Amino acid sequence: MPSYNEINSKMVEVTIGHGDQVYARRGAMLAYKGDVHFAPTLTQGQGIGGFVGRVVKGENVPMMVAEGNGKVMYGHLGLQITHVALDQDTLVVEADKLLCYDGTLQAGTMFLGSGGGGFRAVVQGQMTGQGLFTTNLTGTGGAVILSHGPVFTLECNGSSKIAVDPQAYVGHTGQIDTKLDSNVGWRDAVGRGSGEAFQIKMNGTGTVFVQASEVRL
Amino acid sequence: MAKFELDGSRLLKVTINGDTFKALNGAMVAYDGDVNFKRQGMGAQGGMRGALKRKLTGESMTLMDVTGSGTVYIANMANEVNLVPLSGETMWVEASNLVALEGDVKTDSKFNGLRGATTGQGLFTTTVSGKGTVAILSDGPAIVLEVSPGQTLCVDPQAYVAHTGQLTQDFVTDVTWRTAIGQNSGESFQLRFNGTGQVYIQPAERQGGVDV
Repeated sequence: MPSYNEINSKMVEVTIGHGDQVYARRGAMLAYKGDVHFAPTLTQGQGIGGFVGRVVKGENVPMMVAEGNGKVMYGHLGLQITHVALDQDTLVVEADKLLCYDGTLQAGTMFLGSGGGGFRAVVQGQMTGQGLFTTNLTGTGGAVILSHGPVFTLECNGSSKIAVDPQAYVGHTGQIDTKLDSNVGWRDAVGRGSGEAFQIKMNGTGTVFVQASEVRL
Repeated sequence: MAKFELDGSRLLKVTINGDTFKALNGAMVAYDGDVNFKRQGMGAQGGMRGALKRKLTGESMTLMDVTGSGTVYIANMANEVNLVPLSGETMWVEASNLVALEGDVKTDSKFNGLRGATTGQGLFTTTVSGKGTVAILSDGPAIVLEVSPGQTLCVDPQAYVAHTGQLTQDFVTDVTWRTAIGQNSGESFQLRFNGTGQVYIQPAERQGGVDV
């Protein structure tokens, strides 16, 4: 299993051994030690069907795969990194905010919306600027997410009523249903809104990652 | 009363229980509970007179009222947040650095002369006064500099964030023939503070305004 070591708040060192694969955003390698090879990948381990799906869904950040024996350092645009260890869990993250992850994780794309799709999901995709879909990683392994400023976590349980600004949303783990809630009134229509007309409502149990900024990556 | 706390250095956590606080329009990143956001209209901030003044001064800050009960997380551009408690005094602050105010704190705009134009904030500056906590942003950790009689302080207008106390400010220019031919040091304009009080500066120079 690759192991992750946060060198500082903006750079992660991944130790890979024989047989390991680490997927990363293309061009995010800063340095490496040892005998490591990088190859571009279109499929992200999802097969051709997944690739086509991603392109169609506008969730297509070019990825590469690192294999070999050594240590690889990753970073991107001086953004903050956060390592998330998954143990039979699911991480949902916007593709733009994913730096690297283990090849052992199953990658897929999913609706960030209420599942049913329809107009609401379309609006949601438009608002977050991420297409209609977001990336999900399932299984056991590590992933590193990017954020502008440090990420803070909000624990979601049955009694909480958490809502997140779509632009500040980074990702979440656990069993959480997301739903775009629009609170558009006449004030927004005439350009006098509070800037908080759209929120992602979180329902379920898990952890939500939020960045302290409304800058889209 | 709304309770202002910092969660890390860049995130403001406000706990409200049926009361109101003011925040920069769009600065909410997340909340837990039943919370409503409403942009301040014509009636807020000094009634019609206030609205007219804001229109005339081109003062760009827009605030929203946050009401309800729950926890609201406020952040802007991953800038650091500083909490300043006010007990009746007035604080001058760059409008772009103001992020949240407790309910009883009032905002106003004051004529500021040429200084404002240089910092990119127009000719008017924002004052906040009253009793309560004010949250101001700084790009990097803010530094508080004391000013006492006989000890004047000069700051770069682009690094200036806010000041409190009995201070008079004036504008210092150091423009020579070198500036005119583009061989300036980048420090041709400064703000000079005299009197007794505190000046908050940030370790970064904001963009915009007159670039000299």
